[in-house]
Amino acid sequence: MKQLYMLMLGMLVVIGSFAQKIHLKFIPLAGNTSLVLNDSIYQTKAGEPITVRKFLFYVSHIHVKDVHGKTIPVKNNYYLFSASDTATWNIPLPIQPQMLSAVSFTIGVDSIKNVSGIQTGALDPMLGMFWTWNTGYIFAKLEGNSTASPLPQQTFSYHVGGYKHNENASRTIHIPINSSHKVSTITIGANVLSWFNGVNDLSIKAHPLCHSPGKLAMQIADNYSNMFQLLKVQ
Amino acid sequence: MKWQIIIAGILIFLVIATAFTNNGSKPTPLVFKVPTGWPQPVYDFKQNPLTLQGFELGRKLFYDGRLSKDGNFPCASCHQQFAAFATYDHNLSHGYDNSFTTRNAPALQNLAWQKAFMWDGGINHLDAQPLAPITAPNEMAETVENIIKKLSADAEYRAMFKAAFGSPQITTQRIMQALSQFEVMLVSSNSKYDKVMRGEAQFNLPESLGYAIFKQKCASCHAEPFFTDFSYRNNSMPMDAVLKDEGRMKITGNPSDSLKFKVPSLRNVAVTEPYGHDGRFFFLMNVFDHYRKNMVVGPTTDSLLKNKLPLSNYEIGQLTAFLYTLTDTAFLKNPRFAPPNFNNPPPVEHVH
Repeated sequence: MKQLYMLMLGMLVVIGSFAQKIHLKFIPLAGNTSLVLNDSIYQTKAGEPITVRKFLFYVSHIHVKDVHGKTIPVKNNYYLFSASDTATWNIPLPIQPQMLSAVSFTIGVDSIKNVSGIQTGALDPMLGMFWTWNTGYIFAKLEGNSTASPLPQQTFSYHVGGYKHNENASRTIHIPINSSHKVSTITIGANVLSWFNGVNDLSIKAHPLCHSPGKLAMQIADNYSNMFQLLKVQ
Repeated sequence: MKWQIIIAGILIFLVIATAFTNNGSKPTPLVFKVPTGWPQPVYDFKQNPLTLQGFELGRKLFYDGRLSKDGNFPCASCHQQFAAFATYDHNLSHGYDNSFTTRNAPALQNLAWQKAFMWDGGINHLDAQPLAPITAPNEMAETVENIIKKLSADAEYRAMFKAAFGSPQITTQRIMQALSQFEVMLVSSNSKYDKVMRGEAQFNLPESLGYAIFKQKCASCHAEPFFTDFSYRNNSMPMDAVLKDEGRMKITGNPSDSLKFKVPSLRNVAVTEPYGHDGRFFFLMNVFDHYRKNMVVGPTTDSLLKNKLPLSNYEIGQLTAFLYTLTDTAFLKNPRFAPPNFNNPPPVEHVH
């Protein structure tokens, strides 16, 4: 009987240690401050004032590297970050806390999932990140208002997607990590203002709308691929 | 040793016990019959295995107005069985709040062989297609979220989803997969033409003359057995000034795809009028006159139509006779594809 209790306790310890995870946490930013939706006004690089109503993106194909540079396999899941839902800011990875040298992830949904019909969970078309008329996922979405916008109600709306090879808006992000201790949480800032500057600065006045794959979508994706910065490693 | 026996005994008991639990009966598989001589379908049945319960659920959904905002626009309101699931006698179809669609509703037939859907090929999977009319404000004007709420409140639907998919949970994926299971079964392969090809019937003289003309002048694009090669072509239909429809270019962004539309299937053409991506041709004669007389050849006109398509009145007569042999009455009247309870109408009040 005593052996049975010892066995159960041992199993619980083992199971308990497997339940420890590394958390990948995204914090929405506007420049150096936390992004406040709807009310706060921010200035883009071009000097266009914006308020933000929606800020979402898909995170997929997450990889972490240990201190020897070896990639640790992570189960491939798809996560939808939404600035308005703090529950989506935290992605628990089923990996033991350990020392890491880098984390990488893709902003987008791979082509297989774009051609295989209707998916579930974070990839459910019901979540509003799916084009019905030109089948494919919206990889990242930024919507808001700006006095610079020529559209009705002065809105701007960027739905960035495109999985086909000549209009691929998928972007893979690499973030090096300098950790001297075991990592259990990686906090990354996602700066909305980065959408507006890059090799091709984005002007709301000139381009208030992006609603299909193509050149503009790829340019915006290039810009926002620089929106991530490592804030904290715990 | 004693512990191993006890644990083994518990495990064996559990395994046997689960065999007696009622998890609900498994759905009945349906066989997809490929007509003789036809190629294999491209629809991925492995991801969505055909079952009787899935088919019946899809049929009920297809005919259910609740998939639309005000209940008036089920899929079947634009896709009418007696018109081979096109919209009979309408160039454009009616949508919510007195709106109209921007393109002619195509016939729904032999969908399991199609790789892309819509006149511009913008939808790459049959399961994804219903999302477009369901959410379009000028069609069914509904959200998937609302549909799930409505269906979840209906005990009959909960039971049908459980029977088809194993649990009563109603999801976007299950709704679309059920609709696909119904739609792939809409196979039209029993027209007079098909019977002639199988040696079960014979063309009369005008029909056989028309078939010969067809093979010579039409079959490069309207290839047998589907009567389309599924390609996108520009047959010089001038852009409508109101609709301003760019065709395939809207999807690919490629200027060479401007004004290209998918070659429609001519099966059941006698009942799918009007014709063309915007239904501008109300009679087959209008189509013939476009090809032989009215079309204006330009630099982007399909290479096969650079000299238009000369057709004499005689040829048109024979061609028409042949095209009428593509009508598949068994398909148009198949009770399996009719609304559920079609053969069990409610009792008629007897008035004496």
